[in-house]
Amino acid sequence: MNSYLPEYFKEFELIWESRDTYTIHLPKENPGKAGQFYMLSSPGIGEAPISVASGHLREMLFTIRSVGTVTSKLPDARVIGVRGPYGTSWPWERYGKILAVAGGIGIPPINSLFDEMVGTGRGKDLEIIYGARSPSDLIYHKQRKEWAKMANVIITVDKGDPNWKGNVGFVTQFISKSETDRDGAVFIIGPPLMMKNSVAESLEAGFRPENIYLSLERRMECGIGVCGHCNVGEFYACEDGPIFQYSAVKHLPELFL
Amino acid sequence: MGDITVCPYCGTGCQMILEIGESSQRVVGYSRSPVNSGKLCIKGYSGLTYNFSSERLKYPLMKENGEFRQISWEQALEISVSKLGDISRKYGPDSIAFQSSAKCTNEENYLMQKLARMVGTNNIDHCARSCHSPTAIGLINTIGAGAATGSIASLEDTETFFVIGTNTTEQHPIIGAKIIKEVKKGKNLVVADPRRIQLAGLASVFLQFRPGSDVALLNSIMNVIVENGWEDADFINSRTEGFSSLKKTVSKYSPKVMEGITGIEPEKVYRAAEMIGNAKPTAILYAMGITQHIHGTENVMNVSNLALLTGNVGKRGSGIFPLRGQNNVQGSSDMGALSEFYPGYVRYDSGKLNNFSRIWGKEAPTQKGLSLSEMFEAAAEGKVKAIYIMGENPLITEASTQTVERGIDNLEFLLVQDIFMTMTAGHADIVLPAASSLEKEGTFTNTERRIQLIKRIYSPPGEARPDWWIIKEIGRRLVGMDDYSSPEDIFSEIGRAIYNYSGATYSNIYPIGKQWPINTDNPDGTEILHSKSFPIGRGKFIPVEYGPPAEQTDDEYDFIMTTGRNYFHFHSGTMSRRTDILERESPEPYAEINTNDSRRLNIKERQIITVESRHGSIKIRAKVTSKIPEGIVFIPFHFSEARVNELVGENYDPISKIPEFKVVAVKVIP
Amino acid sequence: MNYILTDEDMKILFSRIKEEYDTYGTVEKEGDIVYEKVDGFESITFGRSRYAPKEFLIERNENVLNLPVQQKKAVFGVMSCDLKGFYVMDKQILGKDPFYTQRRQNTLFVNFPCNVECEGGFCSSFGGPLLDEFQIQVARDGDDFIVSASKEYEHLFDGFRKTGDEQIRKLRKNFLKNAKQLPVEGIENRIKWDSKLWKKYSSVCISCGACNYSCPTCYCFDLFDQDDGRIREWDSCILSGFTSTSAGNVRKELDERLRQRFYHKFVYYRKSQGEYLCTGCNRCTEDCPVDIDIKEVVTHDYSSE
Repeated sequence: MNSYLPEYFKEFELIWESRDTYTIHLPKENPGKAGQFYMLSSPGIGEAPISVASGHLREMLFTIRSVGTVTSKLPDARVIGVRGPYGTSWPWERYGKILAVAGGIGIPPINSLFDEMVGTGRGKDLEIIYGARSPSDLIYHKQRKEWAKMANVIITVDKGDPNWKGNVGFVTQFISKSETDRDGAVFIIGPPLMMKNSVAESLEAGFRPENIYLSLERRMECGIGVCGHCNVGEFYACEDGPIFQYSAVKHLPELFL
Repeated sequence: MGDITVCPYCGTGCQMILEIGESSQRVVGYSRSPVNSGKLCIKGYSGLTYNFSSERLKYPLMKENGEFRQISWEQALEISVSKLGDISRKYGPDSIAFQSSAKCTNEENYLMQKLARMVGTNNIDHCARSCHSPTAIGLINTIGAGAATGSIASLEDTETFFVIGTNTTEQHPIIGAKIIKEVKKGKNLVVADPRRIQLAGLASVFLQFRPGSDVALLNSIMNVIVENGWEDADFINSRTEGFSSLKKTVSKYSPKVMEGITGIEPEKVYRAAEMIGNAKPTAILYAMGITQHIHGTENVMNVSNLALLTGNVGKRGSGIFPLRGQNNVQGSSDMGALSEFYPGYVRYDSGKLNNFSRIWGKEAPTQKGLSLSEMFEAAAEGKVKAIYIMGENPLITEASTQTVERGIDNLEFLLVQDIFMTMTAGHADIVLPAASSLEKEGTFTNTERRIQLIKRIYSPPGEARPDWWIIKEIGRRLVGMDDYSSPEDIFSEIGRAIYNYSGATYSNIYPIGKQWPINTDNPDGTEILHSKSFPIGRGKFIPVEYGPPAEQTDDEYDFIMTTGRNYFHFHSGTMSRRTDILERESPEPYAEINTNDSRRLNIKERQIITVESRHGSIKIRAKVTSKIPEGIVFIPFHFSEARVNELVGENYDPISKIPEFKVVAVKVIP
Repeated sequence: MNYILTDEDMKILFSRIKEEYDTYGTVEKEGDIVYEKVDGFESITFGRSRYAPKEFLIERNENVLNLPVQQKKAVFGVMSCDLKGFYVMDKQILGKDPFYTQRRQNTLFVNFPCNVECEGGFCSSFGGPLLDEFQIQVARDGDDFIVSASKEYEHLFDGFRKTGDEQIRKLRKNFLKNAKQLPVEGIENRIKWDSKLWKKYSSVCISCGACNYSCPTCYCFDLFDQDDGRIREWDSCILSGFTSTSAGNVRKELDERLRQRFYHKFVYYRKSQGEYLCTGCNRCTEDCPVDIDIKEVVTHDYSSE
C-alpha cells in the first residue's frame, strides 16, 4: 500500500473565517483525535500538514491560515486530497481539568478538543484562553458561543480597535487567573514566542511540567517520520508529536524558535 | 547507463557523472577531473531537474493573432528562412542581428557567427558583452589574450590570492572552495568588494571599497608597491613596456589621497600591497565587479597592470583569472560570437579575414557590427528589422529592459530558440524548441580555457532539436551553409578556423579536457599562458586615470544600487527557478539593505519597499543585513517579478559597450 | 553460515543469483568505480565505489503517487560502510516508507568487506567492515573468498565448502589491528552545543549539500508537486529552506544547521534508535569542497572549550 496516496474529495465546503483564514469541510468522518494532523493537498499545488479542527468521529474540518505556498492556493483547488491522521493527540482523558491556551491559528485543534470533551459530557472540565492579534483576526464566532455554554472561555486580543469591548493583552496574562485546578493539564498551542511565554506562565501559576503539553510546529512534508524535516532533538515532530509533554522535551535547545 | 559531462551552470566547468535510473538520475562529481576533483556545488547536485520540467518547449511554435500554435519543423524552418531572406534582400544584411549564447556549445556559437557573417553582417553578439567583453578587449590590449592565464589546479601554488569584484564562493563555488582550502593552509587572502562576502571573513585584509572606485583602489595599491620598490624589476625590464608612464600615473594615487574616493584606510591598502607585491606568486581573480562599469575595460587593464608590475604572469600560482559567468563564455567568445571579433579574436577590421572567407566560401563582411544593446536601440530606431536569438533572455538580463522591449516590439520578425518559453520568447514570431546541454554533444570551454566534451545523457523532449542542427538547417537553406553531420564535424572546422583549437579532437579532450592553445606548438594544450613571451611580444602597461561612475548619488537618489547573482539562482532563472530545491532556497526577489539604513528609514525585514532610480522603479522585499555597507543596496537580477534591470540606465563603457550594472543611483522608499 | 569459494565458485554463485535477480555491480568508468548492470562476476571491479549505492533504495527524485512494482535486484561489490548505512537507516524508515521498504525487500546487496582500512575512512570505529548484519558478505583471504550468507540465501550455496567463523575472526582482527578505531562511543555526551567547531565550519562551508548527498545514512527528502506528480527529491539539512516555515526558521544560521547535522548523527539518532547515524565511510569528508572532516567532530577535545 502506498501511504503517500491521499483520498481525494471533489465535493467539499469552503468557509471563510476571516480575511486570511478559511475552513475546509470534508464529507468524511474524522478517525483522528484532537491534536492530530492530516496532510492536505491538491494536485499541482502540494501538501501541507493541517491539524484537524473537529472532534473524533465528527465530519472533518480543517481551519487554515493562508500564509504558505500551499495554504494560499488551497482555496482555489478543485480537488482536495487528504491522508492521515498522523501524530499524537491531546491526552485529555487522563486529566480531570484542562486549561487550553491558544494563540492565533493555534485555535482549531482546541475546537477539536472541545468537540471531543463535550461529546463525552466533559465540556465543563475545559477552560479556554484564546488570543489573536486583533479583533478581526479572531475566528470561530459561532463556535465560541458553543464553547461558552459549557466551558470558561477567555478571549483576548493583542491590540483592540474602537469597537472592541473585550480583553486586551497577551494570553499569558490570563494563565495565572485560570480557574483550572493546578493538578490539571495545560494544553498550549500557537506561535513559538507565545508558547514559550505560556509555558513559563503556567509553571509560575503552579502547573506541573509533566502536565503541560505543547503542539510543536515544524516544517513537515511526509507526515510519517521519513523525510526528516521536522527533526527536533531525538524526536520527529510528525510521529513523536506534534503534541509533546513539556517535561519530555524541555531539555531541547531548539524547542522554541 | 551514464556518462561524464559538464555542469550547465557557471564557467568553472565542473565535470560530473550523470546516470539515468528508472525514473531519476544520479549526480556525482567526476573525481579525476582537474577542475573539480569530484566536488560539486548545490546547483550541480540539485539544479538539473529543470531538464525534466513539463514546461520544456517540445514543438516549433508560430504566433498567430497573439497566440502560439504548434507547427512542423519544416514549416518553422521555411517561414524563418523566407522571413530572414526577405528582410535581408529588402533592407540589406545589416538589418538582421544575431544573438548567440554562452549557454550553448562552441560548435553552436561558431555556427551562429558563421551564419551571421555568411548573411553578410557583423551584427553578432551575445551575453559575454554584458559580462566579460572588457576582459576580451582589455587583456588583448595588454597581454595579447583575453583569457585566464593559469589553471584552476595551479592555484595550489599561489601564495597570495587577490580577489576583487568576485563573490567567488557563491558564483564560482568550486573555485571559491579551492581558495578556502589554500587559505586554510595559511596562504594570504586579500579581498576587495563592496559587500562583506563569505571570503571576506577569511581574508588577511578586507578592502570594503565604494562601488566604482576600482581604478582608484588599484592605483593606490600600485602606488604603495612602487613607492616601496616591491615591483618585479626583472620582469618589467625583460617582459614589458610602458612602465615609466604607469609609474608616473600611479605616483599621484597615494592611499591617503585616495581614501576619500575608495573609503579605505591607507594602512589596509599598504598591507594589501605588501602581500600582493611580496608574498608571491599572487593570483588575481575578478569577475563582474570589475567589468560591469563604464570603466570596465580600464578596470581590466589596471588588473593587468598590477599583475605585470609584480611579475605575476606566466608562472604557476600567479596569474590573472577573469571568472566566467556562463559555462561557455570563454568558448563563445573564442568562437567569435562578438561583433568586433571573428573566431580566435581576429578583429573585423584587421584585414586578416581571408582564412574565414576561404573556409566559408563566402566573403567575410568588414563593416562594423552592432553590440548587444546597440541591436535593441537600432531595432527601436527601425534600423534592425529582424533578430535571431539563441538561448538568451535579454528582456530580463539586459540593462534598460525598457529599450529592449521597445526594440523587440518594433521588429518585423523575431526568431527565438530556447529550451523554455522565456519572457523574450513570448515576444517572438517563431519559437524553436532546443535540446538542453544534457541532451546533446559538443564542447564547452571553461574559465581556464579547458575545452571539455559534453555527452548526450538524456533524450530531448518532444521534437526539440540541438541548437547546432537548427542553425545548420537555417544556414543551409538561407545561405548554403554546409550540411554538417555532427558536432564533431563542426569541431574539425573550428580547428581550421582557430589555430589555438587546431590540435583538439573529440578523442583527445575526453574525459578531462585540454586547455588552449592546443596546436602543433602545444600538442597537449597549455596550462600556463605567457610563460616565455606574450602573443603581442611585450606586455603593455596601459595606465588608467580614475574617473567617477556614470551615476552619482545626490540628495534625492542617495543610495548606490549594485546588481548581481545569488548562490542559488542563475541569470534570468530560466533553469534554476524551475528546480525545486533552488527555488525553495530563494523563492522571491529581494533587496539587501544595511541594518543601520533600515533602522533609519524604519524598514523591517521582508517589508515591501520601492527602489527607484532615475530610469525606473520596482517594488521588492527588503532583506536587512550587515553584509552590505551603509548607503548601498544589492538586488539580484534573477527575478522577472521585479526586474532590477529596469533601474539600470543606458550607461556604457565606451570601449567594450558593457552596461554599468554595478553602480546605479537609487532612492529607497519604505 | 560461512563458505569457502574459489573464483570459479563465485562465477557459479553469480549465475545462480542471476536466475532470480537483475544483477548490478561495481565497474570502472574513466578511473571512477560506478554501479552498472553486469552480466558476470568477472565484470566486477573490486574497489571503492565513487558513491554509496543509495539510489537503489531511495531514488534521487521520483513521484510518490506512483509506487511501481519492484524488480528483484542483486548488487555486487557494495562496500560494507555503505551497506551498513541501510541497516542503520532501516531503524527509522523501514516499514514506514513504502518505496524504501519494498526496494529493501527486493534488493540483495552483496558486500565486499575491505581488508585494510582506507586512508580517510574510520569504519573500524563502528566495528569494521565484517558486518554482523548482511545478506551475502564476500570477504577475501588470499585467493579464497570467505562468503557468509544470511539464512534466506543459504539455498544459493548448495555444494560449496562450508567453514567456521575462524577466518572471519582472523580477518576482523587483522583489519582492526592497523585501523584508526576513533573513540566514537560516548560522543553524545562529550559533544558541545556551543562548541567553536560549528562557526569554524560555517565560515568555510559553501552549502553544496555534498555531505548529505554522499552519506550512506542520510535519508531526508523534499516533497513538492510538479504537474500531476508529487515528487520527492533528496534534500540537504545544510540548506536554510529545509526548516523554514511561515512561523520562522528554527535553524536560520549555517552554523546551527551544520551542528544539527552532527547532532542528528551522533546524539539524536543514538538516543532515538540506539545507533550512530554514521558508518565511518568518510564520503562526506571526501566530497566536501572545503575539507570539513567529520572525524574532527568525533576526536575534538570538547572539554577544553
